[in-house]
Amino acid sequence: MKKEAKNKAPRQSVGRVLKNNLRMVIKVARLTPEYFFTMILEGVVWGLINSAYSVFTVKLFDALDMGLPFKDCALIVGVMAAFYLFAYAVDAWYWQYYNPLVKQKLHLKLHSELFKKAHTLDVACYDDPAFYNDFVWAMDESATRSAEIIGDIGKLINRIVAGTTLFTLIFSIDYKVSIVLLINAVLSIFINQFANKVSFEQEKEMKVMWRKRNYINRVYHLADYAKELRISRAHDLIMDEMDENTEEMVKCSRKYGKKYFLLYGLFNSVLGNAIYFGVMLYMFTRLLDGAVLVGAFTASVGMIWRVRWLLSDFVERITKFPKHSLFLEKYYGFLNFEPRTVSGESEVPHFESLELRNVSFAYDFTANPKYEYHEAGHKEQKNESEGTYALKNVSLKLNKGEKIAIVGYNGAGKTTLIKLLLRLYDPTDGEVLFNGVNAKNYKLDDYRAKIGTVFQDFKIYAASIGENVMNGHYREEDRETVESALEASGFGDKLRTLENGIDTTLTREFDDKGTNLSGGEAQKVAIARVFARPYELIIMDEPSSALDPIAEYELNQAISRYAADKTVIFISHRLSTTRMADRIYMFANGSLEEVGSHDELMAKGGKYAEMFDLQAEKYKM
Amino acid sequence: MAEKTKKPEKEKKKKLPFKRTVSNLVFALRQIWEASPLYFVGYYLMTFIYAPLDFLTGTYLIRMIVNGVEKNTPPEKIITYMLIVGAVQLTVNIISNYFWNVVNAGMYQQIGAKIQKKLFNKAQAVELACYENPAFYDKYVKAMDEAYNRTRKVMQTLDDLIWRLITLGCNSFLLFFIDPWLIPFGLFPLMLGFVRRWINKLNHNIAVERKPIDRRIKYVRRTFYLGEYSKEMRMGNMYLRMLDELKATYVDFKAMLKRHALKRALAKYIQSIGLEVICVMGAMLYAVWSTVSRGTMTVGDCIVILGSIGTISYCLSNAVQTFADFGEHSLFMEDVRNFLDHEIKLTSPENAPKAERGDISFENVSFRYEGADDDTLKNVSFTLKQGEHIALVGQNGSGKTTLVKLLLRLYDVNEGKITLGGTDIREIDLNSYRESFSCVFQDFKIFSMSVEQNVFLRRSKEGDRELAEYALKESGAYDKIATLDNGMDTTLTREFDENGANLSIGEQQKVSLARVFAEDTPFAVLDEPSSALDPIAEHKMFENMMRAAKGRSVIFISHRLSSAVDADKIYLMDGGSIVESGTHAELMAKNGKYAEMFRLQAENYVGKEAAVK
Repeated sequence: MKKEAKNKAPRQSVGRVLKNNLRMVIKVARLTPEYFFTMILEGVVWGLINSAYSVFTVKLFDALDMGLPFKDCALIVGVMAAFYLFAYAVDAWYWQYYNPLVKQKLHLKLHSELFKKAHTLDVACYDDPAFYNDFVWAMDESATRSAEIIGDIGKLINRIVAGTTLFTLIFSIDYKVSIVLLINAVLSIFINQFANKVSFEQEKEMKVMWRKRNYINRVYHLADYAKELRISRAHDLIMDEMDENTEEMVKCSRKYGKKYFLLYGLFNSVLGNAIYFGVMLYMFTRLLDGAVLVGAFTASVGMIWRVRWLLSDFVERITKFPKHSLFLEKYYGFLNFEPRTVSGESEVPHFESLELRNVSFAYDFTANPKYEYHEAGHKEQKNESEGTYALKNVSLKLNKGEKIAIVGYNGAGKTTLIKLLLRLYDPTDGEVLFNGVNAKNYKLDDYRAKIGTVFQDFKIYAASIGENVMNGHYREEDRETVESALEASGFGDKLRTLENGIDTTLTREFDDKGTNLSGGEAQKVAIARVFARPYELIIMDEPSSALDPIAEYELNQAISRYAADKTVIFISHRLSTTRMADRIYMFANGSLEEVGSHDELMAKGGKYAEMFDLQAEKYKM
Repeated sequence: MAEKTKKPEKEKKKKLPFKRTVSNLVFALRQIWEASPLYFVGYYLMTFIYAPLDFLTGTYLIRMIVNGVEKNTPPEKIITYMLIVGAVQLTVNIISNYFWNVVNAGMYQQIGAKIQKKLFNKAQAVELACYENPAFYDKYVKAMDEAYNRTRKVMQTLDDLIWRLITLGCNSFLLFFIDPWLIPFGLFPLMLGFVRRWINKLNHNIAVERKPIDRRIKYVRRTFYLGEYSKEMRMGNMYLRMLDELKATYVDFKAMLKRHALKRALAKYIQSIGLEVICVMGAMLYAVWSTVSRGTMTVGDCIVILGSIGTISYCLSNAVQTFADFGEHSLFMEDVRNFLDHEIKLTSPENAPKAERGDISFENVSFRYEGADDDTLKNVSFTLKQGEHIALVGQNGSGKTTLVKLLLRLYDVNEGKITLGGTDIREIDLNSYRESFSCVFQDFKIFSMSVEQNVFLRRSKEGDRELAEYALKESGAYDKIATLDNGMDTTLTREFDENGANLSIGEQQKVSLARVFAEDTPFAVLDEPSSALDPIAEHKMFENMMRAAKGRSVIFISHRLSSAVDADKIYLMDGGSIVESGTHAELMAKNGKYAEMFRLQAENYVGKEAAVK
């Protein structure tokens, strides 16, 4: 679930707010200069449109009051019409066409930058739920926010232009009125602060309640819960919960509603009406005295609400910038985040051996940038996996042509081990040696490209089968390779039923006519990836029970056939594949417990034998 | 890949007959009226007072003052009037402020919850099949999401309409009173209806064509941001492929905008010019001419006319939009109503007998999912005798799960019948029937409630505490629960309790198994735990399940053949039929498919020779 954006703004200096926002503006100007300039242009044009009506009507009404001839009055109307003809053309083109276009362009450019950055991140970052929730998603929001910032700046320019024009106009009519409006402005800003504080407090208090409500919503939304709801009485319980929740929400809304009313609503009503009728009364006396003409009178009265509105909108937008700033800091923090798993310089030689020497690994999330920006309350949230070792002092070696099996219970550290081998993590202590050289010295992408891997939680992408098998870019000359790889993995029969063969798009994400594969079929495609390239080392994280016994058996046969002359690491969750291995490494709680061939370990009668016997029990008769 | 995924024209908005549209809107309003008539009346009363007052303090007061000065009306009279209007305005302002901030804020939550509850009550009663029918499910989700918002929107749109009509009435009356020839200017916006329809169509096109583009962007984003993709994305060039896809979306987006948005810009321009320049400036010129050259208007009249014409053209052009909005709201309400009116077919007759212990028989049962081409279950017959343990084995998709769903009466059979103690289960009280089963599914769910509530999943009763303790001990979860800060009262998951406990999958499964121990039901349905557990834990869980099931009739779905060995009877399913049945020994002796599968799996453990034996 996406976390609610935290909008408690810790105190930031004005300079910091300005700097952060300015940096974003500069970035937008660099990425999409056209957006930046049109934003300014648009702000000015709309600012003028907003105030032009008042300026023109003052002129017109004064002219009427003075009894100028029709020709002169008509001229004013004509100029006004011409002005609008032009201004609306700019407006329509910009808002209806150009703005959505450049906005999308900016959006995609920022996203692509973030994606590229995310791609360089350590996989460990993804494993840290706090990082993932609070950070990556907030980041993502920042990209959307950039457009908002630009929009807000455009509107600010607009309000400044419109406000200044109107204010000057009023000032030229009667400076006393303009002073009243100025006082009004100051008071408004002041009470706005109260109002903001109240709504912020309410938001904070209701957050928990909303979370509960959203959860209840989800229970009824998701098909996953439907079965459970029907065979139990959980519905009654949830409805009780909901009644309680509603009562809380009503109470809370009323409480803050009253506060809001007393602090803001009441005061604002009095202030607004006092100024409106006050100015009207005052201008009426000036009109009687003949000090102002009718145009000036109507304009100044009519402009009061306008100016008040412009002002409150201006203030509201200004108060958004500290919030923007906060998000932006996270965003910059993310872009500047230094991944720890970095590439080395050396070319990667052909595979000879792979060795783990005294390797330990502990999750350490403290270096993630999020902490800098976090509120106090959140820091305390302990990460359960932090500090404990996922792997402790493990050594193992694999030579070319060997097959080894890694076995152990869930949480024994098997998956961590693969990630270390692939340099998705770097060890906390110890070394991973490739051909006797620390793996960190090699070029990262080339190093990873040497190793073919089927993960237990493999993914199928919304791309053609060919692209899926080639793991990215597929060229026409790869066709045969792909097809024979699919044949080897047992996907051949299914492939022949597909009209477009390996050009078939998988999943319906991009294409409504795409094909959705079953779990077993998907697995075969994932395995074909390994068959399609001449990998020097293969890691098979044993795919679990997506397959029925016969298919599983057939697949195992295909793998062992294919892997006969290859170097393979099997990660085995069930013990069915371990017999193929030259050596079996049995893990428990992050440590290597036993090593040996199947027969050796069975003879030893240790943990492996216990596990194996449990599984085999029912098959023995 | 990124081929044009142009949706066929079937996406076209459907139109409801006028009568249905109105009835849907009335339905929405009735929801609020029923929740609180007083609030309903108060809500609209505000508008009836406010709208004319607004006209009075703005347009009318200005005219009065300007005309008064021109005609030398005594200032005291004008000032008195000004003060009265001011005082009334202030009072109304304060009252409405209170209404919106205090009364409305509370009612908003209250009515929302009421409507949602109505939907939830329905949701848990409709057939499970509804969740599996994508068309129904989409509509259902939309109904759930939008029901309240739309109801509010209907209320607001009506409010807007009332406001506009009053404002329109006041201003038109004023114009008519000043010079009837001004009316055509005010009516001019009505002629722009075709532009508005054009804009709506273009907006619709843009929205429709944008959807697949957004979907692609979201997908690419997921591949970069989701942890589950993070490993593979680093192992090949798929990320470049995904970035290309992102770029491709911009090309499509631009082409889409070029096709529709430039036209939309033109349409909007015509609209703005029509309203602001031709209508308002035209009226302005006429008024100026009448004042200066003809002398048929006073300066005060001339001034208010300008404001009024603008207001009228605004009200009219928006009133048309209001009706379009109503149409849209009505479409949404239609979904909500259809959902609420959905007739539940899966029911039991009134005064139906309660479920009791007995044999359960499937008699020539066939079942087909709605919209599917083939029967998922074909002519299945078997009997589960009282106290018997039977195992269902077979490949994924062979119909095991469907069979269980029929057994629980989550669906009704298409052909044949299921009987309990000789009575068709459709004739037995549905609730009592389902309650006579204890189930642990492979995809069981833990709710965000206390441990104890999760064990029972019903309102609590006297003596529950001890029972829950017993059940958790039996299922093996108690040791873990005892270490939690609040023991049995600990909330599970951190959905809405920061101090909630996140249990591991294995522990969750034990809690869910405790349900079987806690309730002494005649029947149990057990779905073998999947490989989320390690072999030893899995083994223990399996033994616990079997223990929990003691003395009951049990249907056990087995994914590994080895667990079926001890069952009283094994049913091997394939392609929706039972292809072999018997005890393990019988099936092995028969040397059919079961025996073949069993040997294949056994081979890995006991060696080829031993398995063949």
